[in-house]
Parts: sequence; C-alpha cells; structure tokens
Amino acid sequence: MTDREYLQRLFRARLGWSLLAWLLLAVTWISGIVLLALSGWFITATALAGAGVLATLDIYSPSGGIRAAAVLRTVARYFERVTGHEAVLRILADLRATTFRQLARWPARSLATLRSGDLQARLTSDIDTLDAIPLRVVGPMAGALLALVSAVAIALWLAPPLAAAILLVAAAITLITAGLAAAAGQRHGRRLVQEESDERVALLDYFGGLPELTAFGRLEERRAALARRTREGAARRLTQERAGVLGEQGVQLVVMLTTLAMLGYALHAYAEGLISGPVAVLLTLMTLGLNEALGSLPGAWWRLGESLEAARRLRETEAGAEGPEPVGAEPVELPSGPLEARGLSVGFRADRPLAGPLDIRPEPGYPLVIHGISGRGKTALLETLAGELAPTGGELRWGEQDLTTLDPDTRHRVIGYLPQRVRLLDDSLAANLRLGRPDLPADRLWAVLDQVRIAPLLQRMGYSLEYPLGEDAGNLSGGQARRVALAWLLLQDRPVALLDEPFAGLDEATEAAILERIGPWLEARQTVIVTHAPRRMPAHWPRLAL
Amino acid sequence: MPADTPDSGLPRPGAWLQARLRPHRKWLLGATAAGLGATLATVALAGLIAWAVHMALFAPERLPLGMVLAGAAVAAVLRYALQALRDRAGHRLADAVKRELREELLEAARRDGPVHLAHRAPSGAWVDHYLRRVEDLTGHYARYLPGTRMVILTPLVLLLTVAWLDWLAAGLLLLSAPLIPAFMALVGMGAEQIHRRQQDEENRLAGHFLDRLRSLDFLRRARATQAAREAVVAASDEHRRLTMRVLRVAFLSSAIMEFFSAVAIGLLAIYIGFGLFGAIDYGPAGSLTLFTGLFILVLAPEYFLPLRQFAQSYHDRAAALAAAESLAPLLQPAGGPATAPPGAPDSPRTAVHLAGVQVQYPDTAQPALHDIDLQIGRGEHLAVTGPSGSGKSTLLALLAGFLRPAGGEIRVADDLQRFVWIGQDAHLFHGSLRDNLQLASAEPVSEAAMNDALARAGLPVDDPQLPDGLDTAISEGNTGISGGQAQRIAMARGILAGHPLWLLDEPTSALDEATEAALLDTLFALAAKHDITLVIAAHREAVRERASRVVRLAEGRVESLA
Repeated sequence: MTDREYLQRLFRARLGWSLLAWLLLAVTWISGIVLLALSGWFITATALAGAGVLATLDIYSPSGGIRAAAVLRTVARYFERVTGHEAVLRILADLRATTFRQLARWPARSLATLRSGDLQARLTSDIDTLDAIPLRVVGPMAGALLALVSAVAIALWLAPPLAAAILLVAAAITLITAGLAAAAGQRHGRRLVQEESDERVALLDYFGGLPELTAFGRLEERRAALARRTREGAARRLTQERAGVLGEQGVQLVVMLTTLAMLGYALHAYAEGLISGPVAVLLTLMTLGLNEALGSLPGAWWRLGESLEAARRLRETEAGAEGPEPVGAEPVELPSGPLEARGLSVGFRADRPLAGPLDIRPEPGYPLVIHGISGRGKTALLETLAGELAPTGGELRWGEQDLTTLDPDTRHRVIGYLPQRVRLLDDSLAANLRLGRPDLPADRLWAVLDQVRIAPLLQRMGYSLEYPLGEDAGNLSGGQARRVALAWLLLQDRPVALLDEPFAGLDEATEAAILERIGPWLEARQTVIVTHAPRRMPAHWPRLAL
Repeated sequence: MPADTPDSGLPRPGAWLQARLRPHRKWLLGATAAGLGATLATVALAGLIAWAVHMALFAPERLPLGMVLAGAAVAAVLRYALQALRDRAGHRLADAVKRELREELLEAARRDGPVHLAHRAPSGAWVDHYLRRVEDLTGHYARYLPGTRMVILTPLVLLLTVAWLDWLAAGLLLLSAPLIPAFMALVGMGAEQIHRRQQDEENRLAGHFLDRLRSLDFLRRARATQAAREAVVAASDEHRRLTMRVLRVAFLSSAIMEFFSAVAIGLLAIYIGFGLFGAIDYGPAGSLTLFTGLFILVLAPEYFLPLRQFAQSYHDRAAALAAAESLAPLLQPAGGPATAPPGAPDSPRTAVHLAGVQVQYPDTAQPALHDIDLQIGRGEHLAVTGPSGSGKSTLLALLAGFLRPAGGEIRVADDLQRFVWIGQDAHLFHGSLRDNLQLASAEPVSEAAMNDALARAGLPVDDPQLPDGLDTAISEGNTGISGGQAQRIAMARGILAGHPLWLLDEPTSALDEATEAALLDTLFALAAKHDITLVIAAHREAVRERASRVVRLAEGRVESLA
C-alpha cells in the first residue's frame, strides 16, 4: 500500500463532510470573483450609460446581483469553516483510533520507546498534520480548480477563446511556481525534523548534566556547541521560510501580471469590437479575483509534502505492529498450565545472559521469592516469565504449549504481571481498578483496597471510588499508586502472578499487614515475587538468589 | 502602568516582549517601510489599471496602452517584491529575538549553576522552554508587530487616496472599518467566555489520547486495549462536540469581518455605479468618472486586507504573552555578591576551608546555611548528615562552586579546583558508554583505561548488563540502565578524570540496601587506594559507618562533629 492509498482509505469515511466543505470553499471564492467582476461590469456600464454611449441600462438587477454575491460569500465562508473543522475533528478521531489500534499490536519492548517525549510529541503533531489534509491541502486545490473552471466558463461565454487560454496559462504557471517553492522549502524539511530531535537530546544533556559538565570542565565547550547548533538550525529555518515567502508573493505576482495581460487583451478586443467595454472590465477584474483562490496553492502544495511525510512516519507505527490486536472478549477455553521454565536463561543478548540457566516451577501455596542486588537480572527474569522478553536460552512452557508462541491475549489471561512501575490511567480510581473487568461491583473494589491497606486512608480523606487519580496518578503518592496497581492485580483472577518489588517504599509494618491479607491470594496460584528484602517474606516460601 | 511589578522584580510580559524587541528594532522598521512601499505601489497599480480602462473607453486615441501596461507591470513587481521583503524582515526580526534569547538561556544556566537552575524549573522544562516556548514568540515578532503598523498605515494611505478621489466613498470606508473591530470584539468576548468555561474539560479530553498511549502497557496487560480504543474515539467525539461549540461562535467574528468587507465593496460599487449613471446628485457623486470609480473599486479589497491579516495574527500575541510570562523568570540573574577568587587554605594538609560561610536563597527569609566553619583535610572521608532540608545538599553545592556564599569565605586547595561530582541520579549523556567515559577527560582516553576504570568501579566491561560493552547505547532518560549501574558508570568516569576531590550528593538514596552496600564498599576502597578526599551528603547509616568523620547539620548550622 502506498502512502497515497493509505490516505485515501483514511479519508474515505469522512468524504461527505469534506466534499461539502470543498464545495462551500469554491462557492466562497466564486462569489468573491463574481462580486468583483460584476462590480467592474456594473460601474463601467453605468459610466457608459451616464455618458450616453450606452442607450439603456437596467441598473437594479446587477446591483441586486452584487448584494447577493456579497451575502453569499459571507454565508458560504462561515459554513465552509464550520463543516471543514467538523471534517477535521472527525478524521482526528479516526486517526487516533487507527494509530492506537496499531500501537496496541507493538511488541512490549518496542513500546518502551513510546515513553520518549520526543516520539509522543511527533506522533501528536503528525496526526495533527494529517487530519488537516482535507481542509488545508485538498480543499484549496479543489476550490481553486472549481473557481478556475467557473472563470474559464465565464470567459468562454463572454469573450473569444484567447481570454480563457490566458487564464489556463496563468493557472499552469501558478502551479509550477507553487510547486517549485514547496520543493525548495521541503528539501530541508526532513532534515529539520531530525535535527530538532537531536537538538532536544543535546539540550537535555546540557541542562540535566550541568553538574557533571561543570565538574569536568566541559561546560563552556558544550554551551558553545549548542549555541552553534541552534544558530545553524535557525539559518536553515530562515532559508525554508524564504522559500515560503517567495512562493506566496510569487503566485500573487503571477496573478497580477495575468490580470494586466487580460487587461491588455480585453482592451484590444474591445477596440476590435469583439467584446463590449463592460465585459472588458469584467474579464480583468475576474482575473484579479482569482488571486484569492490561486494564492492558496503554495501553502496547499507545501502542506502536501509535509502531510505525505507525516503519513510515512505514522505508517511506521503500522510496520512495527505484530500479530492481531489483543481483544478483550472472552474467547475459547483457556489451555491449562502450569508455568514451567527449564534451563531458562535471560538477558538482552544471547551471548551475554544476565541470569540462568534456571529451572523454575512455582507451586501453588509456595510463592517463589527471588532476591539479589540490582543488575543481576531479577526484572529481566520476571519479564521473560511474563512472555514480554524473549528468553536467551532454555524452555518456557505453559502446560503443553510454548509460552513465547502463545497468542498475546491468551498469555495475558494466564499471566498477571505487575512490573515495578505501572502507569495508571488519568481516570477515576474505579476506572483503573475495573480495567479489564468492567463489571466488578463496588464492594469488590473496596475489599481489595482494604487488602492493600489503602481503603482507610482514602475513606479518611473522603475520597470515593470516583476520585480522579490525575495524570500519571499525580493525585496519589508514589506508594499509594503502587498499592492501587497491586489492588488491580488482585482483581484479576489469573493462574500466574508475577510481582516485581510490590512493596518497595513501604515501611515494614505496612508491608507485613498487606502480606498477611494478600498471602492467601498469592498462595492460591503460581506466584513469583521479586524483592530486595527477602527476610520480610514468610519463612516457608522458597527463595532463589540471583 | 508601571513597567515593573514591585513584588517579583519581573517585568510584565508585554514590557518584556517590548524590551526583547529593542536591539532588533531595525527589522521592524524595515518591515514597516517595505509594507508602506508596497501600499504605495498598489495605489499606483490600481490607478494605472483604472486609467487604462477609462482612456480605452472614452479616448482610445490618446492611450499609450503598451506603456501604461509596462508601468503597471513594474508597479506590480515592486509591490510583491516589497511584500516579500516585508515578510522577510518580519522573519528576520523573529529569528534575531529567538536566537538571542536561546543564547541567553544557555548562558543563564552556565552563569547561575545547577542549583539555581533546578530551583527555577526541572531540566525537562528548561528544554521545553528553550525549544517550544521560545518558538511561540515567532508569530508575535514576525506577524503581529509588523501587523500593528500595517493595520494603521495601509488603510490610512488608501483612505487618503480615496478621499482625494471621492470623499463620500472614503467616508463609507472609514465608517465600515471601526465597525469591524467593534463587532469582532463583541463576538470575541462571547467566544472567550464559552472558551474559558470549556477549557479545562477540553484540555482533559485532548490529553486523553496521549495518556492512554502512555499507559498502553497497562492496558494490554489488563486486556483492555479494545475498550480503551473505543474510549479514545468517544473522547475525541466529545472533544469535537465541545470544540465545534466554541468554533461556531469564534467563526462568527471572522464572518462579520467578511460580511463588512464584502458589503462595503458591494455598496461602494453600487454607489459608484449609481453616481456614474447620474442617479445620485448629492456631494461629489456627480463628478465621479470611470477612472475614479474603478480606481476606488480596485483599492477597496486592499483596504480590508491588513485588517483581516491582523485579526488572524491576534492569537499570536496571546501565545507570545503566555511564553513571555514563563520565560522571563528563567533569565532573572541569580544575584548574590561576586566573591573575590578565594586563595588556598593556609595549611597544605587542608583540602577545603570554610570560614563563617552563609548561604541565602533568593526567595526565602531564612539563610540556608549559617556561619559554617569547617576544615576538610586531604584524604578525609567526610559524611555530611542531617534531616532533609538541613542544608546538606547546599553545603555540597557550595563546595562544588555551584553556589556563591552570601558571606564568609571558602578556600579550596589549588589542585582541587576540578573535582568529581556524583548526584542522586548520575546524569548519563546520550550516546554510548564510551562517550560517557570520554567526557571525563579532554584528552582521548584509551579503551584499556576505560575497561580498567569500569572494572575498578565494579562494572566490568564484559558484564551482561552491558550488552555491547563500551558501545552499549545510553538513551534519553537512561532507559535500560539500572540506578546502581548508572552510579558505577559515574564512578568509572570519576576514576578516569583523576581528580582527587569527590563530592557526592546522596549517591545511594535511590538504591536498595544490598546494592547500596556493594556500591559504597567499592567507593571507599577506591578512595583509600587513590588518596581521594570524599565529601558525601547522606542520611543513610551505611554511609556514616564507613566515613572517617561525620558532620551533622541541623537547620543550616553545624550541630555536632563526630
């Protein structure tokens, strides 16, 4: 599928709104042209009649036409903008849904790159660029075409074909001018995007690494390099802007010179007796009136390039996707376990395993406690057991099946994995807890909140289940947010539970209280807990030191 | 209105924007001059067109058509060239202001040091200000400011021209012009109110998509991606409903602008037509000719053009004011008296000598450190403890030279002016591990030296945590690198730098106990072996029991020496 087909598929669903907006835009421009042309015809005719050259003239119907064109232009403009934005916002929703569906299919490890602020910013701005295509790219082009066709038709009706030919030549020159300017500007476009993202990283290093740079005496060097980079980037941007200005004013000049050419031809044709005086003025002012429509072409052409670029980047999200979209509906019967690892080794590269080979088969009733100092691969082991990181060696099975080839949704039904950091939704407490199980009753939610020893606190503060957690759970403390995530896991009835430092940051008494309440739940399934304080875990739970 | 608010000492955003303009005023003058020239060329162009038509119809034998058209073409070229220059000057103005501002932001960070920097905003916010907020100023300087000139000058020139041709027509234009802003303001205020009421809700909905993207991991594990996608669509639809409600009103203001300019042009045409026809015998209408009539008609749309452009650039102003408000505080100098370069301590056995040192942060009444007298001997391993807020980090920053004392004196031995700094989260620079180690030294560091330093810091280069050895990539936000690893890399960097003074600010507070113990063992062994003077701010027992001396701070004073 090409970028163009991708765009077509994207916009087809909202074609009705877009078509209406384009039509209204054309009506706006055409009525503007009619307003000018009719006004020119009218005052010339009245001047001739006033001077007695023209015998009779009905002055009331042309002036009525002028008034009608003025009103029509305003009304059409207003509704064009309303429908155009309606189309944009509808496409925005579609685009978000499409992008979201594709990102949901990304492998877990690639998703980590989404945490980069840079990528998020680019994704949003790409979507914003794309959703504006009907309004800012296709609309002006379609509107300009319709306006041009109308002007050519009027010229053919009132004057010899040469008048229409002048308009067509002007349109061709405009297109070429606009295209050249856009190409000149965009030569830098792609590079500018890359440079901006490099600059951002360099700035983060400068402002964030200020103490280190000062200590090592490298500050002045970095500052000068950044200043130079910024100056060079600004110079490139200025060059790009120059292309924009030249394109815009160049097209205006083309239209004006065409107007003069039309004036010369029309006066000549009038002298030859081919057309009347008022028609000569009408043709001239009609050509002048085209500047609004043709003047929008450089911008549209420019944005077309940007939009294709944005489409290309967004389609990369599609390329990164693997497998089907994980669905939430209850599918076929769950294959039976247990989870078992034989000779499993984990790490980021096969030739340098972090840990292993390990034989792991946690038994219900005996949660496996994994401990060891940081950097020994505890988290990587848990991620591997969860099926989110490929093992570097050995076997990982769920019953008869290889866990790593299990389809993601089945895997998620089997494995409840609670990583060290869960980014909760910016939504209510209840919405977070009910995630994946939307029909849980409120008393179940309160029960688990009580198990993680957070219910009394919430009640004391007067918070209900509708309490909004805020962005990245900003309305909760770090420890509270972790306990909400733990409560969520407790609500998932899955045969395997993998917990990475679930009690980090809690004092010993709280940890013990929580453990006492959730112990039975943990013992009711295959459980693995990673902790740096194994002595706080019940003595009968088996240990594994990494 | 005073330029400065007395309490904060910060200029008002408007005054600040104006002050940033001052050194680059010439571009604004250039833009104005070019714009004015373009207007004059437009007048000439319209006049020539009208004259050509008039003569062709009434006195064709006296019309040098070729010359008139050539003259008009010259005027046209002049007009659009000058307009290009006008826009260009605006871009140059914006560029000059932004460039100067960015250089000042870099310089402010260098001049005031990490402590003041962090005091004003987190480093991510500095980056955001540097890139986005500064960029928000573009429209103000490139379009809005030249627009404020053109919106007066162009209509004025055209009005004078039209008045000279026919004062009644000029009166019509004059009447319609002030009506436009008045009506727009009325509608604008309405829109503003609706807008403000819906702003919070709108922001929430606009952020919904990004929030769900960031939580995609959680959504997948909860098997809720499909529901979340439906929610994203629902939120987008809700957002659309709200936005359209605002836009339908907001577009009214531009519709009014359109309406008045279209109606004014239409009315002018009808007035001129009826005047030429002889149907009006009031005022100057009788003396209208096709030349004057056409001249006025062609100029009429140009009269409204700058008004329309100005209305479009008005939101540029709002964006720039918001940016100014957040940028101005970042550039405020930290102040504090510049101290004379301190001499070396009297005794060669002393590394650092503090006498009666006092530190005061700009926005607090209480000094952060009072009257500190402290001698740190060479090779000493000093732990600085105390509750949070007692001034531990301030003392470290002072020793590092990140802060200047408000009073007293700091003497640092000449060979200790360069030092190793390790904070709570060591900053690793984007690039490879090799790049990070190279940072310690201005000279190229050999691979063997790097491997040796890593081994001594307890992270041998063949450790599986470094999948690609020295080429292991270190990306934004240290992803993939654990806290303990980062601190060890920082230690290796310190070893390579070879400075005999190490300042460590809570280097293990983000680590668990086991990792902390292992790291501290490595650190103190290194310090003993290489005769390094260590100063560690820490509240953990593990640090205190390894130090050779402990200083306890309380409320900015030295409480006890142990």
